[in-house]
Amino acid sequence: MSKTEIRTTPKGTAKQKQEFRSGNEAAAIAGKDIGFHVMGYFPITPSTEVAEGLAKMQANGEHDVVMIAGDGEHGAAGICYGAALGGGRVLNATSAQGILFAMEQLPVQSGTRQPMVLDIACRTVSAPLDIRGDHSDIYMALNTGWIMLLARDPQAAYDMNFCAVRIGEHKDVQLPVMVCYDGFFTSHQKRRLWVFDDPAAVKKFLGSRNAPMTALDPAHPVTFGPYMNDPDLINNKKQLSDAMEAARSVIPQVFKEFGELTGRFYPVLDEYRMADADSALVIANSAAETAKEVADRMRDKGNKVGVLSPNVLRPFPGDLFRAALKKTKACLIGDRADSYGGEGGNLTTEVRAAIQQDPDNHTRTISKIYGLGGRDFYAHDAEAFFAETIEAAKTGKVGKANDYYGLTEGEPSKHPAMGLPPLTTEEVTRHMAKVTVDETTGRLKVDLEPLWAMTAMPSRVAPGHGACPGCGIFPSLQQAYRVIDGDLIVLFHTGCAMVVTTGYPTTAHRITYVHNLFQNGAATLSGLVEMYHERSRRGELPNVKDPTFLMVSGDGGMDIGMGPTLGAAHRGHKMIVLEYDNQAYMNTGAQLSYETPMGHRTSTSEVGAKLPGKTYHHKDTVQMFAATHIPYVFQASEGYPEDFMRKMAKAQWYAKHEGFVFGKVLSYCPLNWRTADDAAQPVLQAAADSCFFPLYEVEKGKTTITYDPDAIGRRIPHSDWLKMMGKTRHLMKNEALLKEAQAEVDRRWRRLKAMHAHPEL
Amino acid sequence: MSRPDKIPVSDRFFEIRFESIGGLGAHAAGQILGAAAVIRMGFNGAHFSSYGSEKKGTPVRSNVRIGPSDLPLRNAAPVEIPDVVVIFHELLLRNPATIAGVRSDSTVIYNAPQGIVPEMLKKLPKGTQVVRIDALKIAVEEKSRPNAVLLGTLSALFPFLTSKEVLGALCEEFAGKHPEAVASNERAFNRGGKEFEVLSGIGTGTADLPRLQTQPVWGWKTAPMGGALPTPGNSAWNDLTTSRMGFLPVLDQKKCINCGVCDLVCPDLCLVWEFEGTGKIPTKSKLKGVDYRYCKGCFRCVESCPTGAFSKEPETPGLADRTRIPQFPEFVK
Repeated sequence: MSKTEIRTTPKGTAKQKQEFRSGNEAAAIAGKDIGFHVMGYFPITPSTEVAEGLAKMQANGEHDVVMIAGDGEHGAAGICYGAALGGGRVLNATSAQGILFAMEQLPVQSGTRQPMVLDIACRTVSAPLDIRGDHSDIYMALNTGWIMLLARDPQAAYDMNFCAVRIGEHKDVQLPVMVCYDGFFTSHQKRRLWVFDDPAAVKKFLGSRNAPMTALDPAHPVTFGPYMNDPDLINNKKQLSDAMEAARSVIPQVFKEFGELTGRFYPVLDEYRMADADSALVIANSAAETAKEVADRMRDKGNKVGVLSPNVLRPFPGDLFRAALKKTKACLIGDRADSYGGEGGNLTTEVRAAIQQDPDNHTRTISKIYGLGGRDFYAHDAEAFFAETIEAAKTGKVGKANDYYGLTEGEPSKHPAMGLPPLTTEEVTRHMAKVTVDETTGRLKVDLEPLWAMTAMPSRVAPGHGACPGCGIFPSLQQAYRVIDGDLIVLFHTGCAMVVTTGYPTTAHRITYVHNLFQNGAATLSGLVEMYHERSRRGELPNVKDPTFLMVSGDGGMDIGMGPTLGAAHRGHKMIVLEYDNQAYMNTGAQLSYETPMGHRTSTSEVGAKLPGKTYHHKDTVQMFAATHIPYVFQASEGYPEDFMRKMAKAQWYAKHEGFVFGKVLSYCPLNWRTADDAAQPVLQAAADSCFFPLYEVEKGKTTITYDPDAIGRRIPHSDWLKMMGKTRHLMKNEALLKEAQAEVDRRWRRLKAMHAHPEL
Repeated sequence: MSRPDKIPVSDRFFEIRFESIGGLGAHAAGQILGAAAVIRMGFNGAHFSSYGSEKKGTPVRSNVRIGPSDLPLRNAAPVEIPDVVVIFHELLLRNPATIAGVRSDSTVIYNAPQGIVPEMLKKLPKGTQVVRIDALKIAVEEKSRPNAVLLGTLSALFPFLTSKEVLGALCEEFAGKHPEAVASNERAFNRGGKEFEVLSGIGTGTADLPRLQTQPVWGWKTAPMGGALPTPGNSAWNDLTTSRMGFLPVLDQKKCINCGVCDLVCPDLCLVWEFEGTGKIPTKSKLKGVDYRYCKGCFRCVESCPTGAFSKEPETPGLADRTRIPQFPEFVK
């Protein structure tokens, strides 16, 4: 069997049923059917739907997989490692930056020989940030010691998960396995999908994991992960290498058994019309299927062309490539990611290395980097690849051995709109908020100009951004920017605010803006702050007039970003961190973040017969930053602009004069709170009046409530807020949870009031 | 499972492209159609959408392929040469990409009130079948969505997509989430199958339209290094008009007290002011109006206005252009 058999009707021994599903959904259904013990994960586009699909099925009681949302992909990988040490079956799903953030843990997993399955919806690695598909993420993982299976379409994404369990757990292998399918092309494409309707057959095929040693067997104590120097380490790696070699024979055996079960047979190397081919196209995953379509057409015209596409990337099937390319005259290797300076992408290098070992092989090779960042691979692209290969086969010559395909050169006369004139320091120094030090308390006093006068402050954000109608981020930014005087330099974490303001080649930022990923925004900005001060001290920045540095985070950015932001707070850099709290990862489709309150519905804390939404309370970032003893910490709401603007004015004063400031502002998200676009005011007001979201500040260690609904007779029950939003309406029927949530709101509020009343707190 | 006797093509996939804006239901329409074809009618098929981040109001292209059950489906790329293009909003016909790849034997269905024939349609090849349906009006009247109406039209025009099965899939989609919407969707679907208008003599083109070519403005020889954008605020040249759903906020200056509250809550930064006084803080601010180029129609201004100076009004043709106050008149016309 040398060709991937994708049958129209299943011919295997197991009973199957037909669905219409995407690659991510297929992986999620596989997760349910396999019945993993634990899934540790962190949402990232385009793989998020795997966890979402499992969360939805879990809410309805369709499986017992324990779903744990990590505080980031690194944490998720740690959860998986611990779970795997416990001897059960473990699943994770991620993409792009997620693989890189988890990267440190990947060799730990393989180095200690702990099998698990990691679904990867392949996506390009940042920067620049692009959510679409290429293979730059999985190429980064080639050297991690994981088995890597490729899944070319949604059916393969389903099937490979089952094979991955068997291969990884084989006694001679004992390695973790990645199942890699193309982001969007496969992850988000719905196709006809055959799934098992035969739990007994699945159980028989999978058996159970028999870990030789586990961390949950006190009768047989084991030390996992001892300190190991030379001369031992090289021997340990030889064992890993041998396990990978053993997988070479295990994989075809498992594929064969799976084929008999389902009627779908996967070869290690898919060879399409290669028997007499003199020109071959080597290309991985979804693009290979498009290439096959074109190969048929080229064959009709008398061209001897074929397509080679691996179903397994690690262990690399060099022997099979060597055999398949034995008689070809030319082959073009398409790489959907570059190994910069490496003379072709990784697939190219490995195919060239494989055939080089055969002294009689004189196949000419061409390397093309194509389809980066999700650039589509159309039939006419495959035609172009074949044409170049046929030419090389005919002439024995290749033009450029390594090149990019699908580029735009650009014309000197063509460019996007070049922008609005920069705002001058003068224009944005208007003292809309006057800050003075109260000599008796040592704290700051703020006087605001009337709101109508503030409209004269030019906006540092231009219109034309792509946020949803009614988005609360921009009113929050607008209110903050109004009271900040002088030059402002901002750094935005990944999130809605970043994505919708900087769609290349346009930017809504009229001031200097930097993006960095969740993990490191605060660290990056602190580096910039210190460079400013040092270059100023050396007299290198005579024209820069004391800018304010502001980081904007949201969409759960204070989960992954918490450590580095706390670090920056402890170091006391003169900068402000402003978190717009929209209560979940909204930019990726509303998955739970640790900011999501208990009971709220998100796409990974679904509501169903078995689950009531998120099962634990939200994180109190403001109190966490208060504990770092920075000069100023506040909590505000875009629904109370004057209160918020006073706090921002103080924030700027403290960031200029004393050090680090952290502030959090409740920010409206009509799309995912499931509220009307124009209902921000009542909803935000109810959040404050119910004391769920108290407005307060901690100034030099002293807590002051700035809006007390008790004092003015506006206090309402917590449920009055919850009933306003689609994401929480289900709670109205859940007395127990309502009571628990109310008790927690009351407890946090009482604590805050006690601090407010106490002179030292 | 019913098996229709006739699919227009047998040796390839019948390809449908839905052109839309996030929030109008094109993704759902494609999904419903694909599921109906594969699960209910026994075809092979695929559906996927191409769009950016998770947000409303941005362009969405939804692709559906339907073919014989035993034909392997390999092509994962978007539909380039469509048999049918379904256009969810007439304003999308300002962009030539909307009708890219249309052949003389293709069909174009667009959503617009009677009498509206966008200029762009003239570029269609002569033989292309052009069909108009006022899906928004029907959807509003039936408390449904334009996608239900447009699926009804599509199914009526291409009987191999049997209305029984497409409607069945549509009802199934809503039965779980919004059982109350099933009857209204059914009415909308049925009206979509009856109230369309086949227009003749629209296309004047002599050749099939070229497939979509996405050519970035900057290329590898001209783009600034590292992806940096030395173009502050050039989003101001974007036009977000298509984000509105048939309504816009209208300012009555007689009622306006120029308090500035709306300006603090407008997410789209589209309110335009003028000022008196020479200092940094004006002696008087006056709200001139709205730059509708950027207004997405969230109506937070209407909700926040203490004097009722802003009201939500239907967006009649040309109203926005007539009453728009440009925010950057020197730069963005």
